[in-house]
Amino acid sequence: MLKAAINTDIFKESIDVMAAMVTECRMHISPGGFSTRAVDTANVAMVSLELSAGAFSSFDATESDIGLDINKMKNIVAMMEKDDTLSLDLPEGGHKIEMSFSGYKYSIALLDVNTVRKDPNPPTINLPGKVVISGSVLYNSIKAAALVSDKIAFGIDPEKGIFYMEADGDMDHIYYELPKDDLVSFVPAEARSLFSLDYLKDLGRVMSKSDQVEIHIGMDHPVKFAFSIADGKGNVEYLLAPRIEAD
Amino acid sequence: MQFSEFSKICEQLEKISGRLDTIDMIASVLPSLDDDELPIFVRFLMGRIFPDWSQEKIGIGPNLVFESVAYVAGNNKSKVVKDINREGDAGTAVENILSKKEQTSFFTENPDLIEVYSDFKYLASIEGNRSQKEKLKVVRKLFANAGPLDGKYLSRLILGELRIGIGEGNIRDAIAKAFDVPAESVEHAYQAANDLGEIAAIAKKGEEELAKIRIELFRPVKMMLAKQGTIADMIEEQGAIAAEYKYDGTRFQFHKSGDLCRIYSRKLEEVTAAIPDIVEVLLKSTEHDIILDGEVIAVDDEGRPLPFQNVLRRFRRKHDVASHMENVRLVPNLFDILYLDGETLIEKTFEERRVLLERNVMSFVAPQIVSDDIKFIEAFYRESLDAGHEGIMIKSLKSAYTPGQRVRQWIKIKPSVDTIDLAVVGAEWGEGKRAHLFGSFILACQDESERLLKISKVATGFSDEALAGIYDIMKDKVISESGKVVRFEPEIVFEIGYAEIQKSTNYEAGYALRFPRFIRFRDDKGIEEIETISSIGERFRAQSEKVR
Repeated sequence: MLKAAINTDIFKESIDVMAAMVTECRMHISPGGFSTRAVDTANVAMVSLELSAGAFSSFDATESDIGLDINKMKNIVAMMEKDDTLSLDLPEGGHKIEMSFSGYKYSIALLDVNTVRKDPNPPTINLPGKVVISGSVLYNSIKAAALVSDKIAFGIDPEKGIFYMEADGDMDHIYYELPKDDLVSFVPAEARSLFSLDYLKDLGRVMSKSDQVEIHIGMDHPVKFAFSIADGKGNVEYLLAPRIEAD
Repeated sequence: MQFSEFSKICEQLEKISGRLDTIDMIASVLPSLDDDELPIFVRFLMGRIFPDWSQEKIGIGPNLVFESVAYVAGNNKSKVVKDINREGDAGTAVENILSKKEQTSFFTENPDLIEVYSDFKYLASIEGNRSQKEKLKVVRKLFANAGPLDGKYLSRLILGELRIGIGEGNIRDAIAKAFDVPAESVEHAYQAANDLGEIAAIAKKGEEELAKIRIELFRPVKMMLAKQGTIADMIEEQGAIAAEYKYDGTRFQFHKSGDLCRIYSRKLEEVTAAIPDIVEVLLKSTEHDIILDGEVIAVDDEGRPLPFQNVLRRFRRKHDVASHMENVRLVPNLFDILYLDGETLIEKTFEERRVLLERNVMSFVAPQIVSDDIKFIEAFYRESLDAGHEGIMIKSLKSAYTPGQRVRQWIKIKPSVDTIDLAVVGAEWGEGKRAHLFGSFILACQDESERLLKISKVATGFSDEALAGIYDIMKDKVISESGKVVRFEPEIVFEIGYAEIQKSTNYEAGYALRFPRFIRFRDDKGIEEIETISSIGERFRAQSEKVR
């Protein structure tokens, strides 16, 4: 059972977080709020989203799992006005969720939970380096790299005290560095890993709205991006597996 | 069974050359599979995904496969296509690409056969405007979880290119051996059920269960086929024989239960919606639940037969059926009955079936004569040609209906034209004004294990329209390209005329065609119906005898 109301901007942001990676997910609903974890079809990227009950203007729920068609949600979200209220209503054991906003009353069929991929187990990885930068700086550097290549390296040079991003195309090269004084936070450790810009462009667009994004990196390891949404009442983590650096 | 284990078995089977060793190896695996896995394993091994009678198709072309592999490996698609073109074989190229993935992943899931099959089932069910995207998602997932060797066989399976030399005969014998049942019982049950996968699971339960298999309505069985021969030999062997017109039309199978009916083409594809006129008259022709075998021909205003192409045009039609009904008048001709009110009739003799056909079907029963007089039958043959038909069929009165078999109990007699049905496996780009079309085609026959063997090229006999039409159909079936040569998913059959068959070392088949020319597109025929190497050998010997 779920009976809740939420600001349309927060709901839209949450859907965007998921839509950057997957087209469907299993959403766990509990009295504490919403949570979900999902992996993209190639098992290369993972997302986890937690939206606490506090992110809603009203929230009453019992434990249940629902299958959400993210594509469909994205289309519906596009119909919503800014800073409006969305009411969600799902009866116990129901197969359709009622979504009401600005006079519209959608009744949306849920996916059979069993047809949606199970939550992936998050891998245990140790990422020693950490920087905190603004989402817009991160997204701009991703866009800049995409002009010359389809992959980007993130790295930390602890001696120089810098965080850098670097991309090599067939002919062209781009390098961008941030000294530690320009960073919100800096935990130095030798780190460099290469990632696909295909994925990062989609994730970057979502992260660009966040003031602070934590980037955790290591040597030829996945990268973890952590940031909050809904005024800190929601938390997101993206994990992206690295590419193999060709010699 | 994990898909990865299946891949290893395929790899081992490819290395075995002997038929008996192949059968032994398969027979040793079958008992370890459970009832759900058996049908899938057996079909996959033969390079098929769904039962032979099923209308399901996954609808995944080379493009979607290459795009998915590129995505999973972290390459761009053009690099993948380049690798495949260099390798010439999609399976091997995919194996190489996946062994040098540039993109790591968090985990792989190692799906079992049932999971892969249910993904295929899902692919077959996807339709609508988002279908390409949704299909891509599923195919990506399949390749994301595939190791290099899995990727090799997965891509071949999807592209209809598995062909590891496991034909129906091998599987039949392996099932018989694995479950200690007679091969004849397996064959017999297969002819009625038309799915060796299901038969494997039933054979596991024992011979009695196999014997219970019956033909079912709306589950088409393969058509019985005829060999070439002479009237004299047939009469000498059989005494009195039946003779019927040989229609220059398209074979069909009519299934009816109450008011509901479906019509299947020779390739067992449902064509009911394309020929409502035939549906209407056949529904009225009998009150029984029935399965009938026949041939549809096109006729002109005087009722004289029109060439075969006119019928095909109607069978292929999906849109605008009504207006084409007026243009091409079709007439069914019924010559066999396989099922009547719950009873399977294929074991009955042709004589007995003919009585049931005449007794239970009121119209469109094809004329037939029975005689042991060669003169009388020859006269009937001339009469048939005069009426505009292709020749005659002569049939043994005592023969059972043997689905899918090309047997000596049915002999086709027609004026001698040497034509041969071959698979189109490749092409070369044309020149001059045909530079943007395929100009010549590489053709293949098959061996007893359904392996394709190249035998000829054909570049003549095509009109510009025919070439353009063929290009439209073949352009989405290109697997690889190198220089001027492209390779196709083997799906299309050409009927090819020739002057002579010669021994040759230029082609894998060991034979070549002299003066090959394109006669027509045989899209009523499936790839498994193309000429076998042994029958080409027979043709070669027959032709040398003639010379002497």
